[in-house]
Parts: sequence; C-alpha cells; structure tokens
Amino acid sequence: MRHLAEIPRWCDDVTDSTGPGRFARRSLLKAAVLGRRDEPGHPLAATAEDIEAAASTLVYTLTGRILDVSPHILVLRTERGEQRFPLAANAQAWRGGPVAPAALRQGDHAIVRRQLPGGPVVDRIWAQMGRVTGTIIERQGPATLLVDEGPAKGRKIVIIAAEAEGRIQVRFPRLEPGYLIDVIGLKHDGFLQALVPATSQPPYRAGHPPAPPLVSGHVPDPVSGTAVWHEPGEEPEGLLGLAYPALDPETSCERTGSAASACSGEQHAVDPHAAGPGCVRLPYLSVGSMLRLRNDCAERSRLLPVTSCGATARLFCDRCVTCGTSRKGRIADLTMAAFVELGGALEAGCFNATMTIGG
Amino acid sequence: MLTAIRELQIPLLAALLLGGCLAKAWRALRTRSVTAAMVPTGLLPLRVRRPIMVTMFATEFALGLALIATAGRIGAAGPGLPASIVRAGTALFFLVAVGALNETRQRRPDAGCGCFGEFSETPIGWRTIARAGVLCAAAAATIGLPPLRMPSSPTTAELWLATLAFELSLIAFLSPELGEVLVRLGYSEPCELRRVPVGRTLTTLHSSSQWRRYSGQVSAADPADVWREGCWRFVVYPGLARGRPVDIVFAIYLQARRPPIRVAILDADTDEVLGRPELAILSLSRGV
Repeated sequence: MRHLAEIPRWCDDVTDSTGPGRFARRSLLKAAVLGRRDEPGHPLAATAEDIEAAASTLVYTLTGRILDVSPHILVLRTERGEQRFPLAANAQAWRGGPVAPAALRQGDHAIVRRQLPGGPVVDRIWAQMGRVTGTIIERQGPATLLVDEGPAKGRKIVIIAAEAEGRIQVRFPRLEPGYLIDVIGLKHDGFLQALVPATSQPPYRAGHPPAPPLVSGHVPDPVSGTAVWHEPGEEPEGLLGLAYPALDPETSCERTGSAASACSGEQHAVDPHAAGPGCVRLPYLSVGSMLRLRNDCAERSRLLPVTSCGATARLFCDRCVTCGTSRKGRIADLTMAAFVELGGALEAGCFNATMTIGG
Repeated sequence: MLTAIRELQIPLLAALLLGGCLAKAWRALRTRSVTAAMVPTGLLPLRVRRPIMVTMFATEFALGLALIATAGRIGAAGPGLPASIVRAGTALFFLVAVGALNETRQRRPDAGCGCFGEFSETPIGWRTIARAGVLCAAAAATIGLPPLRMPSSPTTAELWLATLAFELSLIAFLSPELGEVLVRLGYSEPCELRRVPVGRTLTTLHSSSQWRRYSGQVSAADPADVWREGCWRFVVYPGLARGRPVDIVFAIYLQARRPPIRVAILDADTDEVLGRPELAILSLSRGV
C-alpha cells in the first residue's frame, strides 16, 4: 500500500468529483490541446456549452421528498422549494412494487420522470427505491446479509422480504459469503428491504470474474454492454453522471481501493481493483472525462461526465435483457437521475447501452 | 482407404477430449469454481450442478485416455471388446452433447458451451452443435476397427495426412473458439488498456523538445493536474506568460518510443486559448 505522504497532490479524490473544480475543467483543457470532434453529425460533437449543460441539466427527471399526493397532483419538496406537478392519466408509481400514485406516502424520497422534456406533467414516480450491489460478506439467518459494495461505497445490510424470498432465491441461488448479489428494494434507515433481483447471480466467486476476450488493435469505440444504476450515497441526488468501471489506476481509484481493503480484514471482502479488468475491456479514463451514453431500448442518448469510480461493476459479467440480449459486461454505473433521464426504468435495474468515449 | 480414414479418428477424438479437459481445468483453477469453468450451468438445479459437472469432466478425461489405451494391440487383444465399449461410449457422449447443446441454445441463448473453458464463451450456434454431431459420427465410425498400426506405405501416410488436414479444417470451421485462440497468440495490449506509471510519462515529457520550449514559462515544480483518457495522458502545469497566469497543458501519447506530444496554453482566469501549435482533430486511441 502506498503511504499517504507518497501520494502526489494531483491524485484524484473522487469524493470531490461533483464540484465545479478541476475535474469539470478537464474537458475544456483536453479540447484546447487536442481539438474538438465537432464535425457536423459526429456522435461526439459537443461544444463547451454542451459539456456544461450535460453535467447539470435534467430535462426529464426530478428528485425530492413527497409533501402530498392525490390521484391528480404530486407535491414535492425539491431543491427549488415546494413544487406541484399534475399527474398524467396513465401515471405509474413504484413503492416496493407497482402502486397507485395516491398510495405513496408523505415524506417518501421520490425520483420522478416528466412525460415531456421540461414539461410539468409527471408519468412515473419511484419512491424509497434503493439498490445494493456487491459481495456478500456475512449472512445471519436465512434473510439478513451484509454486503460489501466496494471501497468507495462501503457496506450495507440487506434484509430479504419474506414475500420476495422465492423470487430472489431463483435468481441468486448462492446467498453465501464470497458470492455476488444485486437487489433492488425499499430503502429503510440502515438497511435495504430486498424485493426484486436486479440480475442473475454470476456462478463464480466475486473475486474471480472470467477474463475478458482480448482486443486486437484498438479498443472498439463505441462499446456495447449493460448500463446499471446506483444509489447516490455521498453524491448530490440529482447528479447527472456515471461511475466508470475503468478509471486510470495510476491517478484515480487505486488509492481508495488499497486503503479500504487493507482495513477490511474480512476474508470474503473483495477489492474490485485487484480482480482484473472484468469481462469487458474498457479504455482507462479519469473523473471528468465525457462519454456519450445511448439507451438502446429507449433510443435516447446523453453526454455524461464520469463522476466516480465504478470498479465494482467489473465483478459482474452479466447481460441485460431489457430489450434483446446485451453484450456481456457492465460498461457504466449511472446515477439514478442519469438512468431515469436516459429513459431507464429503475425497477428493471439495467438497460442495453452503447457508449462512445470522448467529448 | 476407408479404414485409414476411420483409424485417424481415434487419435483426433482423444486429442480433442483431453484438450477440452485441459482448458476446463485451467479455467477451474483460475476461477476457483468448478461450475463456472464448465458453463452452461443454468440448465441444472443448483444441488446437482457440481456433481454433474465433475462427472462430465471425469467422463471426458477417461474417454480420452481410454481411446489411446485401447487403440493398439493391448486394448484390442482378444475380441476387442474394451475398445468397442470405449468407442461406443465416446459416440454416445457426443450424441448427448448434441442434445444438451441444442437445449441450452434454446433456453440460454446468451450462454457459451464451455467445451474448451474460457475459449468457448461465444453463444452456442449451429456450428458448435454441428461439431458435436461430426465428432459423434467420427466416434461411431471407429467401432469395430482393428488395432491401429503405423501407415504401411508412403501412399497410406499421404492419405492420412490429407485426411487429417481436411478434418482439422472442418473442425476449425465449426469451432468459434479458433478466433479467440488466434487473437491470444498474436496479442499485444492496446495502449488504451496499458497501465503506464505517471512517473514514466513525466520522464518522457521532461526529455521532449516541447518541454524544453515551454519549460521557461512553467512556474511550479509539480504538475497541478494529471489525468488520462485512452491513449493520452494530460499534464497541466501552472505558468506565467507575458505577466499573465496561465495553464500549460501537455498531452502525451502513451507509447514507448517517440510519443507525439501536444501543447496548449490557456489563460488561467478566462480559459482563453493563448497558444495551440499544430492543432489537429485527434482520436483518444489513435496517434498522429
């Protein structure tokens, strides 16, 4: 492990990635030195304004706390204060499962999708939704698990709801320490009540994902695979960005990884940085790099900044089957706001995605 | 001629069976999981997955060894019953494989066959199923053969070689694993995936003509920021130009010899580009 004193000051502190500091300026500096791919029609065409807008503007998505809800009106406390939104006639809500919007509760944390970009009408609401993705490191009784989400995110307690036990066991037959889990459910204080399996459990132990196919020449660009989402954690709730699975180990994730794994002690905890590149080969990038991500199911794309380290995604060598069968491997771990903004359904857990690197 | 073709199948089948075992064993050692090494496992209930996979591996290994052991005079002594049993067992093994592969293709269209460990991750297609069918026919053709001998004449030897070349070509055509093997043989890590220490990048930069040209304007010993995108590493130094604070940005292409290096100078307060020689539209992965 590198001693803290030996770490140069330019090493990335990913906890600072959401601020307007040096990470946000990197695209500008890169464009200054290498030029910009702004030929008309180029998939990476982007101006400085685009880049700035990409990092900040949500046109479909809102986050906030529910103050009141009726069959026709939703009142949310957002960053802008109290706001009222009319509900579409076909509006759907999720709170542990599909429910009528009027069944949502005051005080619930909600993420909301507008029917039209920037419009007032809301057609999807997800309340108290959470997700735990990582390695099982402890099991107590039949339904309580301690899950390690990697050095950057720490550990979470998962309690499998009795009504969901069968459904989860079918997709996750090995609820044992050392194996991977990825479940969606209701967020409570201190734990997640697991209700929906977000994928099928990989058959290998967490620390031994299969080696990816080798690449001859250059890494393909664009690259296809699975895009998933993660809870905000310490990030702002409405952050538009993604955790990238292959940050440059020399300047980004490695420092966090080494320190955390040295402290962990548990034999089942897995440092994803030490588990190889995962099953998809992605070029090394850094926090602040811009990517254009396309939801192949909704046919919607956005320019997004890399805002954090998504090394845990490397452990999952799975496919998304939201619309057809995706290529193997997770290529992006989006913030909830970015996932909804790209037209994803949070309860599905993933969408088939194509990623173009640059910006 | 027909006998020569039939005789050739025995060493070929043994080599394929033992090769498959070796590839699976290698993967099992790497992943420390028997079931992961022998996908597809989704067809089987969890409790029987491991024993069935171990049995399958052992059967494959035993058949490979037994084909060799019974090929000569020892196994074929007397009525040749052991040889016939082994060869019929091999034919049955590949017949079952045809059914299992077809079933897996329908139920898990995304799964590879795992026949040759990590080389067999391509989803099962008609080629993989046809290969098992061809091997089943090859094994059935060997039943009742007399003990193997060396070719009796140069003509027979040539026939052996021609048949071997044809059959290997057919198996190669039916094997999606071949592409993966060829890639690995000539593999060199692309620059986007190569881990390059920052110290080495800085050494390269400091010995370049671009550094000598701009180092007079640099006002700090250490870079203010270093990051990487694909094959390029970016290094930013604070500096002074005509009395104005500036940021001097170097982009270094990550290759060992004579890497292209680009430079831009920006006003630190307004981000106005003050100097940007030899600007070109560049890809993150391609050099200039």
